[in-house]
Amino acid sequence: MEAVVVDYGSKLLKAGIASPDQDPPCIIPTKMKRVLEEGEAAEGEGTGNVEEVMIDTVVRGFVSDWDAMEDLLHHVLYTNIGWEIGDEGHILFTEPLFTPKYLREQLVQLMFETFNVSGFYASEQAVLSLYAVGRISGCTIDIGHGKIDVAPVCEGAVHHIASKRFEVGGVDLTNLLARELQKSNPSVKLDISDVEKIKELYAKCASDQLEFEKMKNSCPAEQHTLPDGQVITIGKERYIVGEALFQPHILGLEEYGIVDQLVAGVSNVASEYHRQLLENTMLCGGTASMTGFERRFQSEANLSTSAIRPALVKPPEYMPENLARNSAWMGGAILAKVVFPQNQHVTKGEYDETGPAIVHKKCF
Amino acid sequence: MSWQAYVDDHLMCEIDGQYLTSAAIFGHDGNPWAQSPNFPQFKPEEIEAIMNEFNEPNTLAPTGLYLGGTKYMVIQGEPGAVIRGKKGPGGITVKKTTMAIIVGIYDEPMTPGQCNMIVERLGDYLIEQGY
Repeated sequence: MEAVVVDYGSKLLKAGIASPDQDPPCIIPTKMKRVLEEGEAAEGEGTGNVEEVMIDTVVRGFVSDWDAMEDLLHHVLYTNIGWEIGDEGHILFTEPLFTPKYLREQLVQLMFETFNVSGFYASEQAVLSLYAVGRISGCTIDIGHGKIDVAPVCEGAVHHIASKRFEVGGVDLTNLLARELQKSNPSVKLDISDVEKIKELYAKCASDQLEFEKMKNSCPAEQHTLPDGQVITIGKERYIVGEALFQPHILGLEEYGIVDQLVAGVSNVASEYHRQLLENTMLCGGTASMTGFERRFQSEANLSTSAIRPALVKPPEYMPENLARNSAWMGGAILAKVVFPQNQHVTKGEYDETGPAIVHKKCF
Repeated sequence: MSWQAYVDDHLMCEIDGQYLTSAAIFGHDGNPWAQSPNFPQFKPEEIEAIMNEFNEPNTLAPTGLYLGGTKYMVIQGEPGAVIRGKKGPGGITVKKTTMAIIVGIYDEPMTPGQCNMIVERLGDYLIEQGY
């Protein structure tokens, strides 16, 4: 029975049967619409004139609404992937860093008691992203929609004291872009989902800080037509989005830029691992696929004060193009092929015997 | 039941056809209560370092966990309760109970999960019994 891998993010849920060299078959948003009709919740369009509430099932990487999550998983597993009730298989979940214990236990409980899976495993996204590029040690910088995780991983185990998690992500960059665009286009009414699309189309990273300063003063402006027909001008705002990752004070955070955080984190690990970690750095997550981000990261890394320069890994050729976006899912597919046949996962019998706390003992 | 019997029957027991490499139970003062025949020669400072780690988590991670001269890389444990270390394909799990610490050392093909199950299960039982 093939295992299913699920990577739920703050914006998109990636799921599918574990097939390591391919993109996840099912990529759907995790935003749900609750149709308040006798307490039912439905995904997608609501019918009739009942009140609709937009629910963010996953906030900052963690599940916040369990009923919505249950419905979402129900849809994904039974409708999209094609499981049948009574014949559920193995499932592997990815988790962000520093997931609270009670959240992991709740997920295990949901899977075994409501969905009746036969096997469960959970692993941190940082480790899985490295597996996707064929490594077991290195650093991952996962810039997602709701959070940024910087994590050094040694031989498949995350060093938690050296890792850092930021409660900012793509969603905050979108809000920043919306504010800036509103300032330069005061008469245009902007919808957040439009700004999201604009961000994905136009956002760029200046090649270094000097260029950013130049751009602030004079930058070619482009015209963009919104779906409702309004036209807005986008100029220097597009560079602010990328710059915010290297100068967090733009977002209001009193922290160092991303490269310095990485170096600071790695210095908390025993020194014999430093070279191996810094020279195998991986950027993943949706926001990391911004134009110019990798180049800027590399140039900031060359300027950094550390004796060892952080270097980015090259993904293997057999992996699909947009590896960075879905690396956690692909790594999960690779791990699923190893963990389930070797019975390292949590089985239904073990869950019945020990309860949800077993996830802390067996899955790491 | 004697402590040696705990080590022999409950720690060095079979799980899925495999055994821990070695195991031991120490008191909080560093005195061994019982150990398996091939438990490595340990030093009092090593046990002291482990106790310090339980009291103040995250002190061992930068330098590593030493036991019997072998260096283990500290990975995610549970602060104040469990320390886990890795050394290549094998590793170590240390569980703190009310009066003792239980140490289990495993090597491949045993998995970290299985070692945790053995050590932590005995630990939880002892805590329940007041030890």
